Amino acid sequence: MSPAAPSVEAVARLPLRRPRRGRLLGGVCAGLAAHLGQSVALVRVAMAAAALMGGAGVVLYVWLWVTVPAGDPVDAALEERSVAMTRLAPRLRTGAADLPITEIAVGLVLVVGAGALIAQRQGYNLDTNWLVPALLLLAGVALAWSQLDAVQREQWLMRTGGRTPISALRLIGGVLLVLVGVLLLVWQEAPPASLLRSAAATLAVLIGVALALAPWWLRLVRELGDERAARAREAERADIAAHLHDSVLQTLALIRAQSADPEAVARLARAQERELRGWLYEDRAAPGTSIAQAVRGVVGDVEDAGAEPIDAVVVGDRIPDANTDAMLQATREALLNAVRYGAAPISLYVEVRPEAVEVFVRDRGPGFDLDAVPADRLGVRESIIGRVRRRGGTATVQNCGESGTEVHLALPAAGGEVG
Amino acid sequence: MQGDASATGARRPGPGDVDSGAADTGTVSGAITVVLVDDHRMFRAGVRASLEDGVVVVGEAEDVEGAIRAVRELHPCVVLLDVHLPGGGGGGGAEVITACADLLGGSRFLALSVSDAADDVVSVIRAGARGYLTKAITGPELCDAIRRVAGGDAVFSPRLAGFVLDAFGTGAGDVAVTDDELDRLSAREQEVMRLIARGFSYREVASALFISIKTVETHVSAVLRKLQLSSRHELTRWAAARHLL
Repeated sequence: MSPAAPSVEAVARLPLRRPRRGRLLGGVCAGLAAHLGQSVALVRVAMAAAALMGGAGVVLYVWLWVTVPAGDPVDAALEERSVAMTRLAPRLRTGAADLPITEIAVGLVLVVGAGALIAQRQGYNLDTNWLVPALLLLAGVALAWSQLDAVQREQWLMRTGGRTPISALRLIGGVLLVLVGVLLLVWQEAPPASLLRSAAATLAVLIGVALALAPWWLRLVRELGDERAARAREAERADIAAHLHDSVLQTLALIRAQSADPEAVARLARAQERELRGWLYEDRAAPGTSIAQAVRGVVGDVEDAGAEPIDAVVVGDRIPDANTDAMLQATREALLNAVRYGAAPISLYVEVRPEAVEVFVRDRGPGFDLDAVPADRLGVRESIIGRVRRRGGTATVQNCGESGTEVHLALPAAGGEVG
Repeated sequence: MQGDASATGARRPGPGDVDSGAADTGTVSGAITVVLVDDHRMFRAGVRASLEDGVVVVGEAEDVEGAIRAVRELHPCVVLLDVHLPGGGGGGGAEVITACADLLGGSRFLALSVSDAADDVVSVIRAGARGYLTKAITGPELCDAIRRVAGGDAVFSPRLAGFVLDAFGTGAGDVAVTDDELDRLSAREQEVMRLIARGFSYREVASALFISIKTVETHVSAVLRKLQLSSRHELTRWAAARHLL
């Protein structure tokens, strides 16, 4: 259980990325929605409304499409976590198929083209003079810009991420298409002498070329940063792998050396299992920011000291305060008590709410009568019950007969009642 | 359990040895048929060795594709399913359940994993598993859980109950007023979940709340249904953030 993770991540704003899943066109609206924490539909409607206002939405959309890198916002947020605090096991994915947007777009274009051809045959005179060049221009720009999306894919295929033949072809093809489109568009009618027209043509060509080259330049800049980050990540991963290997191998060696002592072997194995499990399956909070994390630490200490495994469940989480520290110490004493005098299985249930923390420690031992415990025995009376009551909490020991003994501690958050 | 595994691994019969005629009926002379899906041979052998009479392993699989094939061919009563499996689209156990969704009435899925992570738990439960156990479970407990799942009940470990409380909230304001409310637990369901999280068995929960075991099972099944169907805001946002929906 990692109760801290959802709430913390839900509060933190996701970075702006264009997700591949759930995108309709470029993933801009889906990415914006994730970033702003709004519903995708709302963002799409807003974008469409903006597009109707003189095309502002279209400009914004294209600008974001160009400048925002593709990628999964959640993955990006997880990447930003320190690697040492992130779980190593891969997260499960559902195989939900994406809409084949590319195929749909191609199909739409073909259908529109066919419609236009049919219309032409029927005698409607379509003005193709500007249409073909404009389409060429669009295709060229699209081809050149498409490498922005392709960059990510290629980086998976080849770690160099540099100028592959395919991206070069994309660029050249894009530039050529744009040039042809611009020329056709500008020199449609015969009189080439017009100065104004040729000036416009030059300008248009320049803009076209700049449009085609800009993504290449952008990519170079971005790649540099990515490369650096990837190297740092690689180094961190290597550190973790080294740590894991050291600890596991160390434990195995210890187990072999002490193979005659089953209790020692069991204890070593359990400690190692707990550590490995933590590394593999849990995102770890920074020290001192999570009660749940602190509880797990206490459980680990007690398991190491005794020979009994403890089944710990923690619900909710928040930042520890002075009261929860006392609570943790009382919990530790209660667990030690259960290990020493109780019987397995030992269960720990901690419920963290904003206003209070509740702890239940349960074992299947015969239990004890609190009144029968001699007054001079500090164990239960002082270190568990006294500690909690002094802070304004309640502590009870319940003897449930054959189903064991349960210690129940409840303590309000600091700032409530502090004794 | 791993120690048992190495000792009995040698005489483990392969899936091909099974009399599939008997398996088609869902039972082998009245026993509960089980297909075991895990990518670790040692673990499968360990589970096989720890099962009691009345529970028969009729097939095994070690990846997503193999699991789907085995479930479709053998129609077991219960599928013991590891959450993390190689193959398929990377969805692990949840993917297997999704692919066998049309069989959910006949074959019931019980997830078994070393992972305690909440997002692993919720992915298989939302796909349709009837329970979630960690691999530290003992043989008798496992058999008990298999029988329970085969009988149509849900199996909640303390951890799963803890997750439910986490996802649905533990405050007094989080209590459902009507029974058909999917997004909140009723006060009774919350109580039952809290006791299970504290390590109570179903019988102990029943005696602590002065209700019958059957009623406890009804509450637990209702909670499972809510967990699978709820569109509760936090639950969905939380799961969506981890690509679970």
